[in-house]
Amino acid sequence: MTEKKSPWDVAVEQFSIAADKLGLEDALRRRLGTTKREITVHFPVEMDDGKIRVFTGHRVHHNTARGPAKGGIRYHPDVTLDEVKALAMWMTWKCAVVDIPFGGGKGGVVVEPEKLSQHELEALTRRYATEISDWVGAEGDIPAPDVNTNPQVMAWFMDTISMHHGRMERAIVTGKPILTGGSRGRVDATGRGVSLTVAQAAKFLGLDLNGARVVVQGFGNVGSYSAILLHEMGCPVVGVSDVSGGIYNPKGIDLDALQRYVKTNKFVKGFPGTDAVTNMELLELACDILVPAALENQISAANAPRIKPRILAEGANGPTLPEADPILRDNGVFLIPDILANAGGVTVSYFEWVQGLDGYYWSEDEVVSRLQRILNDSFAAVNVMAQKHRVDLRVAAYMVAIDRVAETTRLRGLYP
Amino acid sequence: MTTQHDPSLWEMSLANFHQAADKLHLDEGLRQVFETTKRELTVHFPVRMANGDVEVFTGYRVHHNMARGPAKGGIRYHPDVTLDQVRALAMLMTWKCAVVGIPFGGSAGGVVCDPKRMTPREVQHLTRRYTTEIETMLGSDRDIPAPDLNTTPQVMAWVMDTYSMHKGYTVTGVVTGKPESIGGSRLRSEATGLGVRMVIEETARHLKMKLKGARVLVQGFGNVGMGVATQLNDLGCNVIAVSDSKGGAFNPRGINLRKIAQHKADSGSVVAFRGAERVTNAELLEIPCDILIPAALERQITAQNAPNINPKILVEAANGPTTPEADHILRKNGVLVIPDILANAGGVTVSYFEWVQDLQSFFWDDKEITARLRGMLKHALADVLALSKKQKTDLRTAALMLALDRVAQATTLRGIYP
Repeated sequence: MTEKKSPWDVAVEQFSIAADKLGLEDALRRRLGTTKREITVHFPVEMDDGKIRVFTGHRVHHNTARGPAKGGIRYHPDVTLDEVKALAMWMTWKCAVVDIPFGGGKGGVVVEPEKLSQHELEALTRRYATEISDWVGAEGDIPAPDVNTNPQVMAWFMDTISMHHGRMERAIVTGKPILTGGSRGRVDATGRGVSLTVAQAAKFLGLDLNGARVVVQGFGNVGSYSAILLHEMGCPVVGVSDVSGGIYNPKGIDLDALQRYVKTNKFVKGFPGTDAVTNMELLELACDILVPAALENQISAANAPRIKPRILAEGANGPTLPEADPILRDNGVFLIPDILANAGGVTVSYFEWVQGLDGYYWSEDEVVSRLQRILNDSFAAVNVMAQKHRVDLRVAAYMVAIDRVAETTRLRGLYP
Repeated sequence: MTTQHDPSLWEMSLANFHQAADKLHLDEGLRQVFETTKRELTVHFPVRMANGDVEVFTGYRVHHNMARGPAKGGIRYHPDVTLDQVRALAMLMTWKCAVVGIPFGGSAGGVVCDPKRMTPREVQHLTRRYTTEIETMLGSDRDIPAPDLNTTPQVMAWVMDTYSMHKGYTVTGVVTGKPESIGGSRLRSEATGLGVRMVIEETARHLKMKLKGARVLVQGFGNVGMGVATQLNDLGCNVIAVSDSKGGAFNPRGINLRKIAQHKADSGSVVAFRGAERVTNAELLEIPCDILIPAALERQITAQNAPNINPKILVEAANGPTTPEADHILRKNGVLVIPDILANAGGVTVSYFEWVQDLQSFFWDDKEITARLRGMLKHALADVLALSKKQKTDLRTAALMLALDRVAQATTLRGIYP
């Protein structure tokens, strides 16, 4: 919060800490500490008024040693190459920590999608897809939704590449609507992953989930499904929030009623039978499980001393600043880091890719049970690493991931 | 040579572009398309060095525009390579290919490295891995690299071999500037110098200027500079000074080119040649002469020294030797500047011939190449002179207008996808 580090600087710093702990050799440090390739494209789009506007887009592959690159595409006016590079590196570690055969990629277009018509958004998506198509493919790089991109955008992306190839390319992008080759269980996958890793942590800590109080910051896709799925496990959800602020009821909130309320009122604010709290107050509520599922940089050195759940599961990417990590650790907070806690999304994306390659689609039960197995194994691997090296789960998760990518790279050798 | 205030090559390219775009009243949307590149690729790749260490290098490949055909542009190996510089070179290539009317777009590439401190094996490995990393952008129908600073026909042979190995069959047309034995063209290595000579001959005819005895200065005595000096000497011009990165040699009665080439081969430089007076590179540019040929680095003629530079014609054998400010001063002083995109286009034109020959696997002789090259350059110069007269503008702006108009027409005809 004090000095402004770029996202890429932060990503490299996190990598270096874990690489030190692993005793990673210099050659691999140099190779894993940079991206493989960074593509910047400038492309024209004909707007509704007939004028041509030129947009800037990026696509970065951080590492592809373990398989094709995987990572989202975001549409946002603040997209920078630096940020895309950092997000691509995080995807490498996230895929490695859950041991799915993907490398890390990321992309983005500098645009305010709210100011574009549907037609303009479609034209932008089709042209961006065309410009980066040389680097995208079921075997090379499989994009997914991210900030301001949704299943519809993914469908346009898939359609564009399919038109170029003259055949349907099911496995070129994930997060598609089910009708166009999407997977069952993809919508709630990230929230489900949060609840599954929380369950593993509770088991390890000997915490009874029945009656464990849950607070969720953010009531979008990840937050709402995390809350619902934890509730199904027997946890009363005592606090939730969105951009309008938070609501609190120590006896538990009726989530079905809340969802109906949000449908008509858009926000959680004013939901009957709850007290209003701010987003910052919400984080400090007494609870057993805290799920920050909104924005990054929510927990800093300033508020960390007052945040004391038993388990903190990072549903969002980067909600905790590095300075807050040791404070939480000293207070006995068991923190499940983002690259593990929210990896359910990319894992079901992986399932969607597998189903796309096959042209054979799984039932929801199959998706859920396979997701559960992968996340249980990943949690165990990270926890063992943490115990063995006496480090927190975040460092342990990075160590597991880097170790896997490093070993693959050693085995593959150096071309030519 | 350059000061803090001199514009970068990219800034120069943009300034020149906007001047021509203004004159053409170019559509605002098209202006936005051309003032940016189409795509820029940055790659980081590992190379195992002779001592067993792994070093990670940074390389670039940029496509500026491909409306008129596959991209064409060099690859340079140099410690000072930046993305900004590569962008500028790619844009320059778009205009250069358009002004001589060959069906190519513009690209450029480079690797941040110092090949002079690397073993041939290291350079080969770097080349093979760089080629692999940028391979998605390459192809005889996509982007055809060529030699540039510190990249030789041998390097081009490695690019071709790597690409061909991946494809499983030989693709000679993926790169030009290759050795003749593996699909290179006759006269490719002397093509830039030959082109400069032809442009000078045609310009002299247009100006009714006598070339016999005309005093010539050549800055830069590398492949291009030495070639041009020799060609002009053959025409009866009097080459009175030449230079390289270490300094220059001046003799008002003329320099014996064969002897000075030998001296450079022996000592590593033209400096301290016995038959001439020693001058600096900056001094050389200000020696009174009829024809000045900057054939070395970019940004040599700036607002500072332009007032003292008074040849009849200035022929840009190098890319970007003159800053936009210097251009104004030279024009006011009556110097006719033949811009880089026309003056040194002989190189890319014979590269184009090499590509055509590779595609058809049928190779031309010197006479055919010389005749076709002269025809194309003569035509391009005539077009530029006519437009400059009609628009009352300098040759650089006229050449850019001609190029821009051709690229704009191609873009408009093709329309905006999707």
